[in-house]
Amino acid sequence: MISSSIRGNSGANIKASRIFIYLILIIFAIYYLLPLYVMLVNSLKPLEEIRGGGMLNLPIVWSLDSWRSAWSSAQIGVDPSGLRPYFWNSISMVVPAVLLSTILGSLNGYVLTKWQFKGHGIVFGLLLLSCFIPFQIVLIPMAKLLGVFGLAGTTAGLVLVHLVYGVGFTTLFFRNYYSAFPTEIVKAAQIDGAGFFRIFWRILLPSSGPIIVVTVIWQFTNIWNDFLFGASFADFDSIPMTVALNNLVNSSTGVKEYNVHFAGAILAALPTLVVYIVSGRYFVRGLMAGAVKG
Amino acid sequence: MATVKITDLYKSYGSVEVLKGINLYIEDGGFLVLVGPSGCGKSTLLNTIAGLEEITSGDIEIGQNSVSGLHPSKRNIAMVFQSYALYPNMTVSQNIGFGMEMKGVKKNDREIAVNKVAETLQISELLDRKPGQLSGGQRQRVAMGRAIVREPEVFLFDEPLSNLDAKLRIDMRTEIKLLHQRLGSTIIYVTHDQVEAMTLATKIAVLKDGCIQQFDTPYEIYNNPNNMFVANFMGAPAMNLIEGVIIKGQKSVEFEMKNSKDGVISLPINDINDIEKYINKTVIFGIRPESINDLESSNNESNKNIVEREVEIDIVEPAGSDTYAVVEFGGKQVVARLNGNSKVSVGEKVKLTFNLSQAVFFDTQSEERIR
Repeated sequence: MISSSIRGNSGANIKASRIFIYLILIIFAIYYLLPLYVMLVNSLKPLEEIRGGGMLNLPIVWSLDSWRSAWSSAQIGVDPSGLRPYFWNSISMVVPAVLLSTILGSLNGYVLTKWQFKGHGIVFGLLLLSCFIPFQIVLIPMAKLLGVFGLAGTTAGLVLVHLVYGVGFTTLFFRNYYSAFPTEIVKAAQIDGAGFFRIFWRILLPSSGPIIVVTVIWQFTNIWNDFLFGASFADFDSIPMTVALNNLVNSSTGVKEYNVHFAGAILAALPTLVVYIVSGRYFVRGLMAGAVKG
Repeated sequence: MATVKITDLYKSYGSVEVLKGINLYIEDGGFLVLVGPSGCGKSTLLNTIAGLEEITSGDIEIGQNSVSGLHPSKRNIAMVFQSYALYPNMTVSQNIGFGMEMKGVKKNDREIAVNKVAETLQISELLDRKPGQLSGGQRQRVAMGRAIVREPEVFLFDEPLSNLDAKLRIDMRTEIKLLHQRLGSTIIYVTHDQVEAMTLATKIAVLKDGCIQQFDTPYEIYNNPNNMFVANFMGAPAMNLIEGVIIKGQKSVEFEMKNSKDGVISLPINDINDIEKYINKTVIFGIRPESINDLESSNNESNKNIVEREVEIDIVEPAGSDTYAVVEFGGKQVVARLNGNSKVSVGEKVKLTFNLSQAVFFDTQSEERIR
């Protein structure tokens, strides 16, 4: 009798605490998703509906006009071009910058763990230090350097800036990942006759899935979302999405088109969202299957 | 197949000397085991032979050719690592065939060679699996397959069995021995397990602090250790090392050891020339547990080297095939290895026979053998 009542009691307790936990989680989920909801809903409303208040209401008249406008015809600075050209500016800056910084970072990590040389600790320390340099400090020297290289105001210049800034982080990621990778495997490959790049390409890189995903997400998000470098170093034909979004919001032809701004902001955030959704699953999946003892 | 000759090998990392003048020679088809406690430099020595570590000075010859300065892949060696070091992203057959692939062997020829090796190691059904899907013993076999398929002149094994459980370890040990007999190849094998060393080797090199303590056949290492370190390291249970004094007895020189219960016991010493110099000095007396018996267990052979002494038993440890009886001498526990049927009991006064033909004595200062 006694024991069963105790069991019943504790079962109810567990259930209650479960409900409490889920309640908290749901509240937080709503809290975090609310801004996205507001943006999405209002981007689909005509301007009059927004002005009428009721920010959380669903649109009465559904319309994609503001999206079309934000993408291809909204006034940005002096051009009524929409965000489209700037979207491609951003893509052509982000893709090479992410690829190059990831490749360089993985090579750095490989050398710093598997082909250690005298002073490798110092080199790594310096690379790490570069992660902590505030952006503002380097603006003027960087502008000067870009001028010297003849890259001022170009997409290539922006790629270089982001590459230099990103290599510290990507090296850190790959170094830590590869330092857990058994060095004996590299030795075995050396005895098998594989050289520096062959070992990297055939053995280390295929085992690096999770860290590549982490690095790509990190780099993509950071470079895509960068505003300061874009605003400082870009010229008319290399302005990235973030700067264009700012210009979109600031250049008005009379009325503030909130619906267009909302649509533009979502467009600007979309690629990072896609990267998370697409690579998130590899993130969980690709953990290295035990190569050494299990 | 080839000989391996190592001459005056030194290796240091910065100011730390890891190998201090190693000289070794292993004949064609020999099985050399490098044994020692961790940190003695045995793995470093193996890595220098493989070419994975550069040497500071000295020379390594495989066959008639000096290989120092040659890339690991050009030395005609194959190595089996402690962690097996299988390529995690490749299948078993790709793992075994990777070396040939690097050499540019055609795919068909590669497959034939891989299949042949897989058959001899009984891993044919595993060829399409990834290392992550294999058990420890299977990984071990794949690692050996990767070595065998290279048909090297010298095999290098770096503690290959230490990641396996006890039973599998003994099975694989036998298999490595069989493999050696079948291939007739030269093997250099690193281990910290003295049983592995004794069972596998044709020659053993005992290392400590980067120096070779003794380089000889397993029999000599076991029965005629050069110094206290070798005596203590080889054999399980370890050799009894008892402190006592050399005195001049009536007939011969005698060794006297103290026991807190039975007083002083003295044993006659024969055939050790230098022992005269140690009269009235303290020495270390070394005797293997199997050289101490009770009357039942000893074969009743009468020999001037076998003497009987009565002592009190402190501890009895039955181990099935043997019974270990522990008595106390010179403040130390001394193990006697008795027959498994022995009926000795704790506190009993028993006559033990000391077979002194295998007994050894060491200088207390230098820890070297007194011969």
